[in-house]
Amino acid sequence: MDLTSTSLDSTREAFLVVDIERFRGPLDLLLHLIRQQDLDIFEIPISKITNEFLSAIGSISPSQIDNAGEFMEMAANLLRIKAQMLLPQGISSQEEDPRAELVYRLLEYEQIQEIRAHLSLAESYRGRQFGKGYVTPREDRKKQEITLTTTWDELYTTAISIAMPSMSVIDHKITTRLVAMEDKVDLILLTLQKLKRIEFSKLLEPFETKMHGVMTFLAGLELARNRKVRLRQAKMFSELWVYRFNDAEPEPAELDSHSGEE
Amino acid sequence: MRMTQIIEALLFSSDAPLSADELARADESLNEDLVDEAIKELTQIYEESERAFEIKQLGGGYQILTRSVYAPYLERFDTVPKSSRLSTPALETLAIIAYRQPIGRIDIEYIRGVSSAGVIRTLQERELVDVVGRGDGLGRPLLYGTTGKFLEHFGFAELDELPRTEDLPVVLKGENVSEYDETSVGEEHSGRDNMGTDDLERIEVNDDESSPEMHSDSIK
Repeated sequence: MDLTSTSLDSTREAFLVVDIERFRGPLDLLLHLIRQQDLDIFEIPISKITNEFLSAIGSISPSQIDNAGEFMEMAANLLRIKAQMLLPQGISSQEEDPRAELVYRLLEYEQIQEIRAHLSLAESYRGRQFGKGYVTPREDRKKQEITLTTTWDELYTTAISIAMPSMSVIDHKITTRLVAMEDKVDLILLTLQKLKRIEFSKLLEPFETKMHGVMTFLAGLELARNRKVRLRQAKMFSELWVYRFNDAEPEPAELDSHSGEE
Repeated sequence: MRMTQIIEALLFSSDAPLSADELARADESLNEDLVDEAIKELTQIYEESERAFEIKQLGGGYQILTRSVYAPYLERFDTVPKSSRLSTPALETLAIIAYRQPIGRIDIEYIRGVSSAGVIRTLQERELVDVVGRGDGLGRPLLYGTTGKFLEHFGFAELDELPRTEDLPVVLKGENVSEYDETSVGEEHSGRDNMGTDDLERIEVNDDESSPEMHSDSIK
């Protein structure tokens, strides 16, 4: 009889080092002990196996005690069989071997494991076949129209029940503008009273921060928009000239280039 | 339009197995024999034309399923639900119920050596087993049997497709087994050495005598 085909994994276990949690119950453990030592299931050395079983379940920690009852029951069962075996043969010769029931249970358990393996295989094979609807269709592009059940009254009630944020909580950060555009407007106009035209860069020379450049440029744009100055630039990235509005006669060299805004 | 095409249309549109009886309702001129014939014809057509699907008989019904060789391609779509595999204890318990049905919880626990109420409940929730009757023993224990869903889940047409116990590597000798458990099912024990077809046939007997107390809601 081939008993080795089911729990092959149990043979990997080191000799008598038994992790009780690996076993699905006392029968599993018992079969493991028997098979590990290649014992004849019909001639179980009950005393030996009982001791091994007891030492194996001795490692059950108090936290596992909930699941230990079944192992304890089997231990008691083994001890009973062991005691029966010790009775003089003459008295019990008519009776069957005290181990018979246990042997039957073990074989039955093994048979169930065979069937379990068979079911597992059938299950995985079945899982490879798909029926209608398994690949769900792509989502419908058209949005489904949903009937609105909310009334305006409900909406209004909800709206007014929403707490307005308290104004005192809001922190406003106000950074003062360090450079005023008005100053730059004055600067440009004053300069152009003395000169007909000036390079944009010259206007920036006394100052260092970028903000001066930005504000001077904005002032220039503003003045050009108000037709107070003209801006001219020969080509991209070349010097930008600021002209007095009236004196801005296009010079021949600058004719073929794009002029700035008027 | 031929009857075969009508059957094909029904099978094509269904996402669950349809029994011959259900299929025959499609037209007055149909009956179960004609349905079976149509199924045979379609099966042959699909095979000869190498269709990617086949008609599979599942728990007394027919369903069109893709052939398993195409599983790797279908599984690429993450919309394909991973079939929820059963746990080892669940399979073990199902194995016992399938071969010993109708069987009570006490007997299941005796065979497994561990308490099984939770596992049985899970199997019941998944409709793989159901209460099929009550035993004669103390407290009239509930007896469980497998369902049509069980057959569907494992891809069986009928219980006979399970391997016969004589063909398994471990064969039980039926001799001199003591009666270890008189409390639960009484008579059911006599067939222990013969866990195959005899036990399976007994379910039908139980079905016939079902009474209100035999239904699953009584166990709650």
